[in-house]
Amino acid sequence: MPRAEIRWLPFAIGAAGILAGWLVSVLLPGYLVFLAITAVIAALALIGLGIVTGSAGMIALCQLTFAAVGAWVVCLLNVTGAPGGFLAWLLVGALAAGLAGVVLGLPALRLRGVNLAVVTLGFAAAADAILLKTQFPGSLVGIRVPRPELFADDRAFLVLAVIVLVLVALAVHLLQNSRWGSGWRSVAYSERGTAAAGTSVRVAKISAFAVSATIAGLAGGLIAGQVGTAYPSAFSTLQSLALYVLSIVSGSYLIEMAVVGGILWVLIPELLKRFGIPQDWGFVVFGVLGVQALTTNSNLGQDLRDAVLRRRRRRGAEPAPAGPGEPEDAEDPAATPGAPLLVVEGLTVRFGALAALDGVNLTVHEGEIVGLIGPNGAGKSTFVDAVSGFLPGHGGTVRLGSTLLDGLPPHRRARAGLRRTFQQDRVPPSLTVGAYVRFLARRPVPSDQLADLLAFFGCPPAGARIRDIDVGTRRILEVAAALAAAPRVLILDEPAAGLSHEEHLAFGRRLRRVPARFGTALLVIEHDLDLVRTVCSRITVLNFGAVLADGTRDDVLRDPAVVAAYMGETELL
Amino acid sequence: MIQGALAGLAAGGVYAVIAVCLTLMAQLVRVINFSQAAIGMFGAFSAVALARLGLPQPLAVLAGILIGALLAAAVGAILATWLPESGISARSAVTVAALLLLISMSYILFGTKPQTFRAIVAGPAFTVGGVVVSQVTVVMVLLAVAVAVAARLVLRRSRVGIQLRAIADRPIAAELLAVPVRRLVLAVWVATAVIVGSAIAIVAPTQTSDAVSLSLLVIPASAAALIGGFRSLGLALAGGLLLGAVQGATAQFPALVLARDAIPLVLIVVFLLWNQRKEVWDAAR
Repeated sequence: MPRAEIRWLPFAIGAAGILAGWLVSVLLPGYLVFLAITAVIAALALIGLGIVTGSAGMIALCQLTFAAVGAWVVCLLNVTGAPGGFLAWLLVGALAAGLAGVVLGLPALRLRGVNLAVVTLGFAAAADAILLKTQFPGSLVGIRVPRPELFADDRAFLVLAVIVLVLVALAVHLLQNSRWGSGWRSVAYSERGTAAAGTSVRVAKISAFAVSATIAGLAGGLIAGQVGTAYPSAFSTLQSLALYVLSIVSGSYLIEMAVVGGILWVLIPELLKRFGIPQDWGFVVFGVLGVQALTTNSNLGQDLRDAVLRRRRRRGAEPAPAGPGEPEDAEDPAATPGAPLLVVEGLTVRFGALAALDGVNLTVHEGEIVGLIGPNGAGKSTFVDAVSGFLPGHGGTVRLGSTLLDGLPPHRRARAGLRRTFQQDRVPPSLTVGAYVRFLARRPVPSDQLADLLAFFGCPPAGARIRDIDVGTRRILEVAAALAAAPRVLILDEPAAGLSHEEHLAFGRRLRRVPARFGTALLVIEHDLDLVRTVCSRITVLNFGAVLADGTRDDVLRDPAVVAAYMGETELL
Repeated sequence: MIQGALAGLAAGGVYAVIAVCLTLMAQLVRVINFSQAAIGMFGAFSAVALARLGLPQPLAVLAGILIGALLAAAVGAILATWLPESGISARSAVTVAALLLLISMSYILFGTKPQTFRAIVAGPAFTVGGVVVSQVTVVMVLLAVAVAVAARLVLRRSRVGIQLRAIADRPIAAELLAVPVRRLVLAVWVATAVIVGSAIAIVAPTQTSDAVSLSLLVIPASAAALIGGFRSLGLALAGGLLLGAVQGATAQFPALVLARDAIPLVLIVVFLLWNQRKEVWDAAR
């Protein structure tokens, strides 16, 4: 899709949405208009839930607690006669809910998965019990929340709710396609990968909770305006659970599916009522749909999108072959090592009594490719983790140019210009290739530059989805994306694992051109001596956590001590 | 305050029983069963309905517990069939859907009004320092301790226990060693359902007994199990009893009327954050 098309399309859809909302408000009977308001509000709550649960992959079972905060603040401001009127109160309520989201998001920094689910469920139950005792301000004495004059009757209020929904949907759409959204998806897949990309895991998680809760707060405030007051029954724990299940069923991280979900929220009970079936069957339907969606690990939205994509592919509209790669020049680039860039001195890491690294020194100069090799258990990966900030307790110093990196968390080191890749696959499959590169780059990357970079490494085009790419290519993509950030040093942790022989050779040839082309010095951790021999000009050998040899490639590989350490692999030398 | 804590032990006993069962399920069949209490609730409601139809009460209670066990086996079979290899989050999410399903089914079959239960255990057991400790409290606490001790003995000392632990650690390897995985997994579901079903049948007459409050007993219980990280039976047991005692004690202070629903949870979260302070990353390496 051309960029220009993407720019105006959401706004056009938004305008069409408001028009549709207005038509519904004019054409339908009053009872249905009231139901439509409920559907719009549910869609809002679902969009919020989609961010935490769908994008950021954290189970939050207290979405309506945040909505209750929004409603509570609106009621309170009304009772105390605060200035500004309904719309201002609505915003204040949303902000208050956002704050509650930040607070309730804090446990998510240490608690994950089901543990977090239990904690959020506990919060929902506690809030439920407290609300039952306090009730909402003014609800017992019958003080009604006045709607704004322009949106006084139900029909006009529906239009207001639709406008809020459209604005929120546009904002969330922009956020989801920005670095924030990529951060949410990345943190759902791998926290280490997110930090190595220069994004704070803390900020990513808390911002997901905050945005989600703010939107829920808007939904709650609108409920207060719709009903004229608020009752705890609208925000019960059970409703939060049902909303969570509906979010899973519909796939509400996709905005259009959140809207469909909102419609289902009112449509299913309403249809049952029309057919003379008790409305309680509504939750039965949700339950069955939920079990179905969860056991097949699918959701309505993703199924639909996949079907559309398949159809488009069959028509041949979107060919997604890997790029051809750049013509290879045979000559070695002139290795002109400059000033010392990455200077590691006396690096020591202890796990209890065991010294995994003991006083390791290593220097990478500008424009250089250095290899770090050693037998299994020599401490290579520990070295990478320590230098990139994942082992904060290490001894010794790590310097990048004139910057002292000691004590900095991983994302700060990444931003300072020290990037790394992982042995494991840490490339989030929910992103597209282009979004992933831009996420790691942390800067705007023009489309032609992006295409150049991908072509250079033979990666699939920017529009391809990472989940359609094999794991070997993902690892090459990880290297390409890290280079898009124009780091000063890039540490590659076993980059060739999982590549075929041909891919391997081509990858080695490309790596050799990296310092000249991207201005990035490389430190290659490898098991495979073939790659090290063809790519690196200097080599450091680790054994039992200490430097065994250090020097130019040929000297080191001829060193008898190195040969002895590699005994089982001598034939490779 | 001591009096309040003692009074809270009745609830604490129920939390502890459910917490121990949740821990067992988490360890043995990799699921946090959010529908655990709802299954017990459904069984108890069925018992009331059967008794109303003329079945003698003891038989009705037994039939109710059996119905709960069958429901649990059904949920367990769904998970074993379609999500055998999935992560604990995905498997647990299914039980959230099952919880909703059970509550709404109970509305449809038994109505939305609280049920009136005939007490199985009633009356005071003994008096300590002027506080009457009810028989229900004694039975609940004993049941919780008995379940925790029995579970530990079975897991550590018996052949079935070794097989169960093998399934928990390496399901596929266990299957290759001809361990009847599916049968044992379903047995865990049925056993925990019978235990929780009995506990709810005993405690239902003494508390608000509508479908939602009974089903959501799983929330404080899972919070208690969280203290033990869904790993330690002892901590789950202690956590459940302590949670009940704290709730009972705080109920004595009118000034805490609003805060008391949140106090146990905040304490648990603070404890967990301290306990997990080193879990900075999602993966070990």
